[in-house]
Amino acid sequence: MSTSYRTGSKDLSAWENLARKDLGSDPLESLNRQTPEGVPIKALYTAKDLEGIESLDTVPGFAPYTRGPRATMYTVKPWTIRQYAGFSTAEESNQFYRQNLAAGQMGLSIAFDLATHRGYDSDHPRVTGDVGKAGVAIDSVEDMKVLFDQIPLEKMSVSMTMNGAVIPILAAYIVAGEEQGVKPEQLSGTIQNDVLKEYMVRNTYIYPPEPSMRIVGDIIDFTARRMPRFNSISISGYHMQEAGANSAIELAFTLGDGIEYVRAAIARGLKVDEFAPRLSFFFAIGMNFYMEVAKLRAARTLWYKLMQQFEPKDPRSSMLRTHCQTSGYSLTEQDPYNNIIRTTIEAMASVFGGTQSLHTNSFDEAVSLPSNFSARLARNTQLIIQEETDICHVVDPFGGSYFMESLTQNLMNEAERILREVEEAGGMVKAIQQGLPKLKIEEAAARKQARIDSGQDVIVGVNKYQTKEESKFEVRDVDNTKVREQQVARLQAIRQSRDAARVKTTLEALEAGARANGNLLELALDCMRARATVGEVSDAMRRVFGEHRAPIQSVSAVYAAEYKMKSDFDDARKLIAAFADQEGRQPRILIAKLGQDGHDRGAKVIATGFADLGFDVDIGPLFQTPEEAVKQAIENDVHVIGISSQAAAHKTLVPRLIELLKQEGSTDIAVVVGGIIPQQDYEFLFQSGAAAVFGPGTPVPTAAVETLEAIKRMRKG
Amino acid sequence: MTIDIQALETALVSGDRRGLAKALTLIESRRADHRLLAGKLLSALYPRTGRATRIGITGSPGVGKSTFIEAMGRFFLDQGHKLAVLAIDPSSPRSHGSILGDKTRMEELSVDPRCFIRPSPSGLSLGGVARRTRECVLLCEAAGYDTIIIETVGVGQSETLVCSMVDAFLFLQLPNAGDQLQGIKKGILELADLVVVTKADGAFEQAARRALVDHEMALHYMQPDPDRMPVRVMLCSALEKKGLREVYDTLLGNLQTLQADGRLQKRRQAQREEWFESELQGQLMDLLWQDRSFKKDIQKLKGKVAQGIMSPTEAAQQVIAGVDLKRG
Repeated sequence: MSTSYRTGSKDLSAWENLARKDLGSDPLESLNRQTPEGVPIKALYTAKDLEGIESLDTVPGFAPYTRGPRATMYTVKPWTIRQYAGFSTAEESNQFYRQNLAAGQMGLSIAFDLATHRGYDSDHPRVTGDVGKAGVAIDSVEDMKVLFDQIPLEKMSVSMTMNGAVIPILAAYIVAGEEQGVKPEQLSGTIQNDVLKEYMVRNTYIYPPEPSMRIVGDIIDFTARRMPRFNSISISGYHMQEAGANSAIELAFTLGDGIEYVRAAIARGLKVDEFAPRLSFFFAIGMNFYMEVAKLRAARTLWYKLMQQFEPKDPRSSMLRTHCQTSGYSLTEQDPYNNIIRTTIEAMASVFGGTQSLHTNSFDEAVSLPSNFSARLARNTQLIIQEETDICHVVDPFGGSYFMESLTQNLMNEAERILREVEEAGGMVKAIQQGLPKLKIEEAAARKQARIDSGQDVIVGVNKYQTKEESKFEVRDVDNTKVREQQVARLQAIRQSRDAARVKTTLEALEAGARANGNLLELALDCMRARATVGEVSDAMRRVFGEHRAPIQSVSAVYAAEYKMKSDFDDARKLIAAFADQEGRQPRILIAKLGQDGHDRGAKVIATGFADLGFDVDIGPLFQTPEEAVKQAIENDVHVIGISSQAAAHKTLVPRLIELLKQEGSTDIAVVVGGIIPQQDYEFLFQSGAAAVFGPGTPVPTAAVETLEAIKRMRKG
Repeated sequence: MTIDIQALETALVSGDRRGLAKALTLIESRRADHRLLAGKLLSALYPRTGRATRIGITGSPGVGKSTFIEAMGRFFLDQGHKLAVLAIDPSSPRSHGSILGDKTRMEELSVDPRCFIRPSPSGLSLGGVARRTRECVLLCEAAGYDTIIIETVGVGQSETLVCSMVDAFLFLQLPNAGDQLQGIKKGILELADLVVVTKADGAFEQAARRALVDHEMALHYMQPDPDRMPVRVMLCSALEKKGLREVYDTLLGNLQTLQADGRLQKRRQAQREEWFESELQGQLMDLLWQDRSFKKDIQKLKGKVAQGIMSPTEAAQQVIAGVDLKRG
């Protein structure tokens, strides 16, 4: 049948004329945009844009899996609703899990506290402020058994976010299973076990990259032999996006990490089909709706292509399956109910992209752990998409869209370009050792912050349409001291009741295995059975492997380059220059990260932004104690200490630091705090002596000017 | 804020960390009145200075300077020394701000109570760094530190500068020297008292040995300086803690010899003379800048010079002719 319609791809001039009328005086080109990924976006796509697309008109369940890993996708079985949670003690987390399972959640996803992540027992002096914060404290099998009390492990798929102390934690989980009467073969779930990204972002590593890669290999090896239903690794881009990476960087580095793990496993003698089907992925889904849909489609296609170099026979070996989580970075403290809407949009992008499981964030997670109420809303967001809408009835509904297919291809091209850079550097491990990926992510983060601060990227309620109305809601607060006391008591009980000789023998065997070629997970099982602690097992390996020390590098002049609202920026610079003239030197700030929280995006963005504005910036090392930070601040004679906190330890560590400054007679040093801090803690921090508190979304120039004011007040007072 | 020089002096001499830190800030200040106070403080402390071993350390970025200083510094501490590390990081010419990360890279040293580390922004003029760093060394000595390490940014003029204020200058070199060596060897090797090839471990050990031979060859062709000990090339692994004792022994052994035969004293005398001269230049410039007509003339003539209307030489002569040096 012929029609009289003008076909767009053959002749666009008519459309262009119409568009010009709509545009008025602006040129047609003003409709074109460039995304941060470097992908061009036009206002209109036509059939012509489908030329040269590699995986057009494929079907789901078949290579290259652009349209989904399974043939029927959600039409037969929807994605798994898997909410990530954990806090304070094993008892409280267990209770929370059981409530959620009863209310429709399908799998568990365990968050551990930072002390556990870094392989410290709860009574270690370096972790005073971290125990029970941002996750559950686990010191031994006894805690793990409490955590899964009345949860049948042969039935429940369990995902564990653990990378640093992955050996003792996975071993404790397996032993907890054994003691429930469940064999390793019956366990199903995922361990994150993705240590490479820890060196780029998040920083919850313990050992240097090479022994850490061996640990990953040991786990892949053990699970390939003994745990056929368990995903040995969850290769994660999530934390890269949270740290500021754009979608192309996230995609490239995640798949690059994946390839590195495959090579490591093959190097130790495994065949690709023995382990590759159990590799899983984990991506962040942010507010760039189309881009995120395209990212998941591109990820599957590109993984398929990359895996062909290993010549897999089993189709599942090159089939990318992924978990997704909505972006925590996109949540705002200001006007927080907006976060429900953001999360819904992100959840839809994950679903249109074809995720296998999903965590939706709670609206209060910009400042705290979810309350029971906010956790219910988050879960219901997914249930509503699954059960009230018709979204699940069609597989890959965007397939064939001129725009989506073109975007998928362009994003994939950009990711391939970055991957070639990685290969030229000698692969991800080499690139990471040189610090290249970390710098690239930090640069993207500084640019992003500058775009937000100058209003180029709009965030409703933060840099546009702000409201004065305060939203009061209940926030979950963890009494860190109480949790710590409880954990310490339980540790003491274990150390008294266990067979000390057996603990010693098993730990020695582990240490010897670390020196030789023993499978560390297998050896750690004996330690955990004997009731060795997470800290003791980690220490046995520390003695052999040492600890990783991150070289701190930083980008400069990036923030200034991207900042487009010149006046704010210049005003701040002038104030700082005037201060410097009067003082005889630039204002000097120590940016400190206290405790075991390794999220350093905020600290890095502030460091580069403040330096671009004229501060002399000392960057403290990660995992500093308040004592160490005070020594550094005094020696460098800084005007102010800026504490960056993302993981809730501020209520313990900030007062401690201020107390130490007083003891040292350095009351002329001001203290400001920034990061994820609930509104209700502000007063507490001011009472403790903090001069200013900067919540999420504070523009860098504003923070700089207020910090300068805090210094001046200190001088007068 | 008023500064009590006497109190500062007392605190510094008693070994108070905060006192030393505040005194260093005073030295680093750009304010004219602070400069005068700093001068007073230095005079008061001067008799207590001069007793430390001053070591300069340089090497291109990525050579592992901080890792080396961390390992070497710990070795010094273990031998009973008190160590101060002064590090210089570049300031941005546009914002005048800087990122100072040295503590981070020397994590173990920075928490040790026997060690004092102070990274300083370079500021905008090379002369400024020189003046301040020299004075900072004196303050650390007066505060009782017997070993002072000065770490420089990396490449460029700052090497010559640091060399002019230390007893021994260490040049760190990566194992994969090769062609690189050709370009840099002359300028910097002439300044070095000791060349240390770093990262001589694991896969790099062979390359490190080759680099050692290359350097020895290069040094072989250079005219030996009768005022100094022959330059040695050594291997070191901060990771495996290898070669540290050898570097330590060579360094202090050489200095002992030089002290015994008077060459060290001669070097320091020459350095003090040079310092005096550059201080004269610096203070003269400070004085000139306080002269109003000087400032005005410069502004006026800058434009002419930039546009090529007047030669720089002639312009300078005109400015100087207008200055009345008797005041001040």
